[in-house]
Amino acid sequence: MSTLALVARNLWGKKSRSIGLALAIAFAVMTVVALTVVGSGLESSATAVMHIGEANFVLSQKGVSDILNSTIDKPTLKKIDSTPGVASAVGVLVETEKINAANPVFIEVGIAPSDLAPFGVKILAGHSYSADATNQVMLGYTAAQNFGLHVGDKFRANGAVNTVTGIVSTSSSFGNDAAFFPLPALQGYNRVPGIVTLIFVKVDHGVPVSKVMHRITYAQPELMALRTAAQFGQADLTLVFVKAAATGSAILAVVIGAIIIGNTMLLSLFERTREFGMLLSVGWSRKRIVGLIMGEGFFLAIVGTAAGLALAVIVVLLLTQLPQLLGVLHAHFTASAFITGFATALAMTFLGTLYPAVRAAMRSPMDALGHE
Amino acid sequence: MAEAYQVDERGAGLAVEVVGLTKVYSDGNVRALDGVDLQVAEREFVAVTGPSGCGKSTLLHLLAALDTPTSGTVRIFGADLGRMKNLAKYRREEVGLVFQFHNLLPQLTSLENVEIAMVRHEHGAPSHKEKAAQLLELVELAHAADRKPAQLSGGERQRVAIARALANDPRLLLADEPTGSLDSASVKVVVALLTRLREQTGTTIVMVTHDDSVAAVTDRVIHMRDGRILDA
Ligand SMILES: Nc1ncnc2c1ncn2[C@@H]1O[C@H](COP(=O)(O)OP(=O)(O)OP(=O)(O)O)[C@@H](O)[C@H]1O
Ligand SMILES: [Mg+2]
Repeated sequence: MSTLALVARNLWGKKSRSIGLALAIAFAVMTVVALTVVGSGLESSATAVMHIGEANFVLSQKGVSDILNSTIDKPTLKKIDSTPGVASAVGVLVETEKINAANPVFIEVGIAPSDLAPFGVKILAGHSYSADATNQVMLGYTAAQNFGLHVGDKFRANGAVNTVTGIVSTSSSFGNDAAFFPLPALQGYNRVPGIVTLIFVKVDHGVPVSKVMHRITYAQPELMALRTAAQFGQADLTLVFVKAAATGSAILAVVIGAIIIGNTMLLSLFERTREFGMLLSVGWSRKRIVGLIMGEGFFLAIVGTAAGLALAVIVVLLLTQLPQLLGVLHAHFTASAFITGFATALAMTFLGTLYPAVRAAMRSPMDALGHE
Repeated sequence: MAEAYQVDERGAGLAVEVVGLTKVYSDGNVRALDGVDLQVAEREFVAVTGPSGCGKSTLLHLLAALDTPTSGTVRIFGADLGRMKNLAKYRREEVGLVFQFHNLLPQLTSLENVEIAMVRHEHGAPSHKEKAAQLLELVELAHAADRKPAQLSGGERQRVAIARALANDPRLLLADEPTGSLDSASVKVVVALLTRLREQTGTTIVMVTHDDSVAAVTDRVIHMRDGRILDA
């Protein structure tokens, strides 16, 4: 009879204990995976802002809790535009508004019509609004579908009735779900004249991007430059907290899980001392006994991971349906989240079984057999 | 392993050679064995008898390398157990042990309890399952192969334990009251089995028994009292 067969037999023989341990692992895996997915879901929502356009980097205000709270004034935008090496600096205002219960954080982008094309905004139907029009809007096609609106229809937003002049598509799902207004109009609606949220910078051909980035952040220390999605995550304090929470709870889950598993294993191995004495007496090596015990743990880790991943998917899908997070949280079940979950389960069971296993195997056979 | 079993002149032809064997259990200061000297020849079938608590089981456990003596030496087929590095291999391949009490794993069937003791499968040899089934047939328990210990009588469990002790064709079989809980019909089966085993395979057998009729079939009876062997 192989060690593997005995592993299966032992786990099957103690079903309730095995199920309890697998559940403990499953909850830890669920916590870790759900937080990782939520973290990267928020990150990719934020990152989507960057996908609009073909800029080399984006400038935002430093130290804001949410990237969308960044405010940059007109003189600053002017200074950036005249910085040597900068080909173009386009200011964009990003605001959110509650349209209705289904769209509690609808995103509105204020952008000049001339900047639309360079930023990958394509007009699918109708035409662009004019630069200083009021009461004109273009909708991303997903938003248009959701609201059931077409070119020429009226869209109520910012306390005004706006005529839909065009339907657009962007290179990101974020943009497809947003509304686009002339920049001065959106600034006026939100009473922030001259203010933009982000500045998209394109550098002169042949000029090193990092050089221009450093030149700007040196002269304007209140700004930060973001080039990659990862940097974007760092700029956004909310995201930093979510990620810290994910990391922290992963560590906590592993520690608590390892303690639960270790404790349960220790108790059950204590009960099984005579069994190990018996195996030692028929010539099992200590290595093989450690293998048997850790094999049981490994098997539980696999079952626990499978259950934990299923739970994580359910929990995240429920979270995305929460009114507060609707449209903000996009669930991205990445392979790396699943791998993190499995690694968590492995780490838990390894830490939880190693000590009990070695302890059980190190007893002398007669000592173990005499154990009542 | 070959050199480990080289027999020196003194130990030639001896399966068991015990010199000055003493075992003191630390808790309660019990002198379970007190300077035991014993020699058992290869192919010999000996019985060990004596009153309860005189040290019979302790002696068998030391021969099986399940415990370490307080002093004295044990040589098995010329090899000193005290100097042997791989005791697990010795227990697995050289010696078969039938315990007086607690014997089988409760979660496994009779067949699996025998299989569990087998060494890695060698090419061309019958599979573990086949061999275990043959051994159960040998102890007349083929019909109970798929039953778990809880579904067996005390005597049947003891016979499964004998089958398991024979799993790796040991050269030395140590049996601690293998007929202790058997009815007279089963006693005959087991005694006949052990006798035949010695005849056919030349296995050396050391058997603890209280039953004079069982002891009578052996080559020699060793009497023990208070941790010592009485002179014949
Ligand atoms: N683990 C132990 N710790 C302390 N004392 C022990 C231990 N095992 C046995 N003893 C003592 O050692 C002595 C010999 O025990 P042993 O089991 O060898 O006797 P035995 O001859 O097999 O008896 P029985 O015929 O009842 O099986 C007894 O006094 C017993 O109480
Ligand atoms: Mg005894």
